[in-house]
Amino acid sequence: MVNNLISTYLIYLLGKALVLTALAPLVAGIIKKVKAFLQNRRGPGLFQLYFDIGKLLAKDSIISPTTSWIFTVTPFIYFAAAFGAAALAPVVAEVFFGTTGWQPDLFMLLYLFVLSRFFLVLAGLDAGSSFGGMGGAREMFVAVMVEPALLLASLTVALRAHSTNLTAMTLSAQTGFGGLSAIFAATAFFVVLIAETGRIPVDNPDTHLELTMIHEGMVLEYSGRRLGLIVWAVATKQLVLLVLFAALFWPFPLIIDSVAGQIVWLIVKVVLTAIALALTEMLANKMRLFKVPGFLAVASLLALLAIVAQ
Amino acid sequence: MNFTTIYLLMLLIFAVGLIITPVLCKKLKVANLFAHGIALLGSLAAVLCASFVFVTGPQAFSLPLYLPFMAFSVRVDYLAAYFLAIIGLVGAAASIYAVAYGREYFKRRFIVMAELYLAFLLSMLLVVSVSHVFAFLVVWEVMSVASFMLVGQEYDNPVSTKAAYLYLVMTHIGTAFIMTAFLLLAKTSGSMEFAELSALGADTWTKNAIFLCALIGFGTKAGLIPLHIWLPKAHPAAPTHVSALMSGVMLKTAIYGMTRFYLEFLGVGPAWWGGIILLFAIVSAVLGVLYAMMEHDIKSLLAYSSVENIGLIMLGMGAGMVLMSNGLTTLAGLAWAAALFHVLNHAVFKALLFFGAGAVISVTHTRDIEQHGGLIKVMPYTAVVFLIGAAAISALPPFNGFVSEWLIFQVLFNLPAAIGGVLGKMVAAVLISLLGLTGALAAACFVKAYGMIFLAKPRGNKAEQASEVSGFMLVPMFLMAILCLVLGIIAPKIMVLLRDILAPFFSEGVLDSLVNSAWYVLGFQQGQVSAGLSLPALGVVFGAGIVLAAIFYLLNGLGKSETGETWTCGIVPNARMEYTATGFSGPIRRAFGKVLLPQTEKVINTNTSPYSGWRVIYEVHITHVVDELVYQPLNRRIVIASRFMKEIQTGSVQLYIGYIMAVTIGMLIWSTRW
Repeated sequence: MVNNLISTYLIYLLGKALVLTALAPLVAGIIKKVKAFLQNRRGPGLFQLYFDIGKLLAKDSIISPTTSWIFTVTPFIYFAAAFGAAALAPVVAEVFFGTTGWQPDLFMLLYLFVLSRFFLVLAGLDAGSSFGGMGGAREMFVAVMVEPALLLASLTVALRAHSTNLTAMTLSAQTGFGGLSAIFAATAFFVVLIAETGRIPVDNPDTHLELTMIHEGMVLEYSGRRLGLIVWAVATKQLVLLVLFAALFWPFPLIIDSVAGQIVWLIVKVVLTAIALALTEMLANKMRLFKVPGFLAVASLLALLAIVAQ
Repeated sequence: MNFTTIYLLMLLIFAVGLIITPVLCKKLKVANLFAHGIALLGSLAAVLCASFVFVTGPQAFSLPLYLPFMAFSVRVDYLAAYFLAIIGLVGAAASIYAVAYGREYFKRRFIVMAELYLAFLLSMLLVVSVSHVFAFLVVWEVMSVASFMLVGQEYDNPVSTKAAYLYLVMTHIGTAFIMTAFLLLAKTSGSMEFAELSALGADTWTKNAIFLCALIGFGTKAGLIPLHIWLPKAHPAAPTHVSALMSGVMLKTAIYGMTRFYLEFLGVGPAWWGGIILLFAIVSAVLGVLYAMMEHDIKSLLAYSSVENIGLIMLGMGAGMVLMSNGLTTLAGLAWAAALFHVLNHAVFKALLFFGAGAVISVTHTRDIEQHGGLIKVMPYTAVVFLIGAAAISALPPFNGFVSEWLIFQVLFNLPAAIGGVLGKMVAAVLISLLGLTGALAAACFVKAYGMIFLAKPRGNKAEQASEVSGFMLVPMFLMAILCLVLGIIAPKIMVLLRDILAPFFSEGVLDSLVNSAWYVLGFQQGQVSAGLSLPALGVVFGAGIVLAAIFYLLNGLGKSETGETWTCGIVPNARMEYTATGFSGPIRRAFGKVLLPQTEKVINTNTSPYSGWRVIYEVHITHVVDELVYQPLNRRIVIASRFMKEIQTGSVQLYIGYIMAVTIGMLIWSTRW
């Protein structure tokens, strides 16, 4: 009986991960489209990233002789970590499996991101170029600054739910408007979202200029199938973070009883957050790297205020 | 076969080793195998002792030594057995490793080193198993002196000597405090036996004094900031297998001492005790890892990371004491379990990393990671195990470090239950975010270390000529690497063990809800809140991700992989284009500039030909705040004070006789006054 429930639960987690992974490039497409619209361009189609990934997955690769097996296996680990994070991401339906037994945990989700970052930075260093090292050093620097802000923002919800269990946190976040505290927490997490998804003003996803790039610097040596996997994983990670924002931090919850309704509402929230992300990217300038700690310190302080105001 | 027999057998094994090894001083190869073989046997006997206790229950016996004030009484309860097992486990691995590493010392006082190694290992095993105050202090001192001499093994190197003497001074300051704590305790309880030691009858002041003395005393040994200054100097100076033992195990004897005091002898104390420990612990964790991040000497880096990990362990202990004083015994049990779990985990992965570092040093002959690089190609096995160690210490799932760090997160998260209101939430939030910062910095630190040592191209000719190390080094490393993974996966089993260890210090049944009956879930339940962690489930999901990635990769056939040089804007890539460790830590050094106070030195030599460019030497030094603000001024004061004392120390015998006369007369007058 217990084993049966667990296997059903695991199948559910895998299914969720598959759906989120499949939808991730679409969400990335939406952000691009909104940005293009705001810049008075037509921009690539909504499904362009699928074509890109499809093309990359059919291409041969060039591998530097300097690299080792770390470089070769990292795309798989990176993809699997993003997939695992998608499996843990809090989508409404967890509730139907009850709150007893094992539930996805917040720290587990966050440490999957740490795992993927760990390997990607190593892969960046593996090729032995300055670009990889520069990207890696900056990535680790931003990660060090993001981590406290990310945890503080998550704690506002977790402390309210008295648990770091993602299901309990989702349920608690849906119970009602959290007041000023919820708005602070949402703002703080939004800042973290910008940094973690590598968007302006922290990083610029569209550039290969060595003065500004962080993520692109690390993956510069990748090509072909491996690059395809990384691109896809990055989109998945972005969607997971958007879902996290939508499920836990959306300041104005709607109480919806039906599962279908909840899922539709989640999709609406994710799309709205994606649009907000595109809008921020339009309105902000790329920030100097050493201004980023200040930017994230604001997020940390807001989250602390949110905890106090609770 | 009873416990006493096994224990005495262990002592006998070490005694034989200590006596016979010097006899073999003409046959160093035999001595090497013999001494370290004995150490291996002795360690295994210690593990056997511990397993015996876990199976049959606590054991105690006493040997009559007919010495005044001294009884050799041994008591191995579950707690002692746990530490005994850790020391035995790491000791066994280090002994195998030492066979290969010892060869380098054949021309450098090998016999002395082997003797001291045996004495050091034995004294650590005794420290956690004796149960008499005097016996404890004696073996504690033996441990300190043996490790001091091992740190000073290369006494022709002034850096080593200085580190050794600093260690000696600091450890004796610590021992003085430990002695005070024990004597105060023995005075209040009227006994020297651990079983009868208790501060129940003591007044508040005495209790506080005992608490602080134990904290300072054991804190010095554990390397708690600001008492840590000896640690990053002493650990790197010792031979590597000893460094592994010092960092992985010796620091834990201090944790053992603190656990005895705070959990057993002192009983439930006020909340501020825990608060103080939390404060020092979080400072140690953050500063320790920050200094580790800035370090380029691989062994110093690992030593600073030990300071960080001691901070993590003590976060669990401090939280446990806060929760305990508020009557939240179940959560307090969780906190202590988290701390003790991290003790085991840190012992395993720190030993692994030191072994790896030693392997790298033995083939490159330099500890500077700026001169390593590209070793993954010539040392493939060492590279794998070092990666596992780095992942475990960076708390990446599914390794053991992640489990104990998760538990510590959960403990801190439950602090608001003990400290009510906004204050509790703030304390929890700040501690958790700083712990997150520590985790991120640790990941950055070990990415840096791994990247610089093993990846890209060799940065110096020393790294180019490297080759893989021998099996004696690889076997213990692989054992520890496997343990890193196994301990992560069987974490629920370890939690059951930890519940048994902690149960005697708590009321009946309090800790039962800590362990989940399901083997695949590590969790606890407190009230309506449940939290759990399932690494197997994560493993399934992660594995599915890997499979999916492989499917997508192979969707269009295997594809061709061409070899093409790294893109460096059209120049032929060379090792000097690679990012250096200094460069990698640059942004973090700059962001934490207020704490690290970096000082850069840039020397530009313009005398060379104007066409071939200038020669630039760039160096960065960071300021160790505690050293500069506390110890150096103190040191200066001591020197000034001793200069005054010098005035009366002329070296003239007549004057000394005069002093003795004066004192004698003074004493006579004082004693016959009445």
